[in-house]
Amino acid sequence: MQSNNPTPAHGGGASPDVHQSIGILTRQLHNALNGLGLTDKVRDLAGEIPDAKSRLSYIARLTGEAAEKVLNRVDLAKAQHDHIAAETRRIGALIVKDPVAAVAKGHVMNFITDVDVSTKQIDQHLTEIMMAQDFHDLTGQVIAKVVNLAASIEEQLVQLLIQTAPHDAIVKAPVVAPHIDHQLILSGPVVNPEGNPDVVTGQSEVDDLLASLGF
Amino acid sequence: MANELRFLVVDDFSTMRRIVRNLLKESGYTEADEAEDGVVALQKLRNSNFDFVVSDINMPNMNGFQLLMEIKKDEKLKHIPVLMVTAEARKEDIVMAAQQGAAGYIVKPFTKATLEDKVSLILTKLGLK
Repeated sequence: MQSNNPTPAHGGGASPDVHQSIGILTRQLHNALNGLGLTDKVRDLAGEIPDAKSRLSYIARLTGEAAEKVLNRVDLAKAQHDHIAAETRRIGALIVKDPVAAVAKGHVMNFITDVDVSTKQIDQHLTEIMMAQDFHDLTGQVIAKVVNLAASIEEQLVQLLIQTAPHDAIVKAPVVAPHIDHQLILSGPVVNPEGNPDVVTGQSEVDDLLASLGF
Repeated sequence: MANELRFLVVDDFSTMRRIVRNLLKESGYTEADEAEDGVVALQKLRNSNFDFVVSDINMPNMNGFQLLMEIKKDEKLKHIPVLMVTAEARKEDIVMAAQQGAAGYIVKPFTKATLEDKVSLILTKLGLK
């Protein structure tokens, strides 16, 4: 590898010498990377960064949607809970005032029906709140992939530094065993399903695919 | 009959295991156990009696495909239906699961109705409902 001895720039302005020096340095770096066979690795790593950005956006979207869903369902459940509480107080007052009339006029029966309907709806809200927690699984898988990618980039950059450092500055870096995570073998949640013919976007497509194959 | 069936829910995320168990319970299937990966699942299947497996695919140690293969090549276990519930949405994975003997395939995120429908369909096909 060639040694770098750029001409120092004189003065505050960007003189042609500075531009020339930067150009020489860039060319030397390019040649050095080529010579070491690292350009492909750097290109691959750079290519994975947009994928990591997509994955992080996916996590942000899923967690946001889950929080929104939970808060909406809590609002609905609380409204129904408040309704039952108010109706209980009202029917209680009617029974205290005239128990026979409360039953005879159908107030008690209406209340029982009302409670039955409301509790079923509250139960549905609670189920939806529980289902919203599935983001933990989906984002967890995506986070694992991003962590693996970050580790891979770090490892490659360390190798790049070691291989391009001046000979008198080389220090032995610890040997890092390649980290193979099971999550990388399988693809995990699809972050960008649009326009990808190799993946399904929902359960109906799964059912159609299996039906088309006779399963 | 259906209520007495014993389920094994396999997923490396405890949140998802809990969700699936709760949904099964809401559907009337109260007997369920959990396993965090294929290895633990296989041990439980071999040491106890289960009627139905609901399994994730992407898991450490032994993934869902490997578990499915182990179940289907084991004379004592191969009759147990395996429903895959997974985020793996590649068509080739879905086809592979079916070819390896999965009884059904659900992609995450899913709804309560989807799980209920698939379990019910599988049990009906097998004459267990």
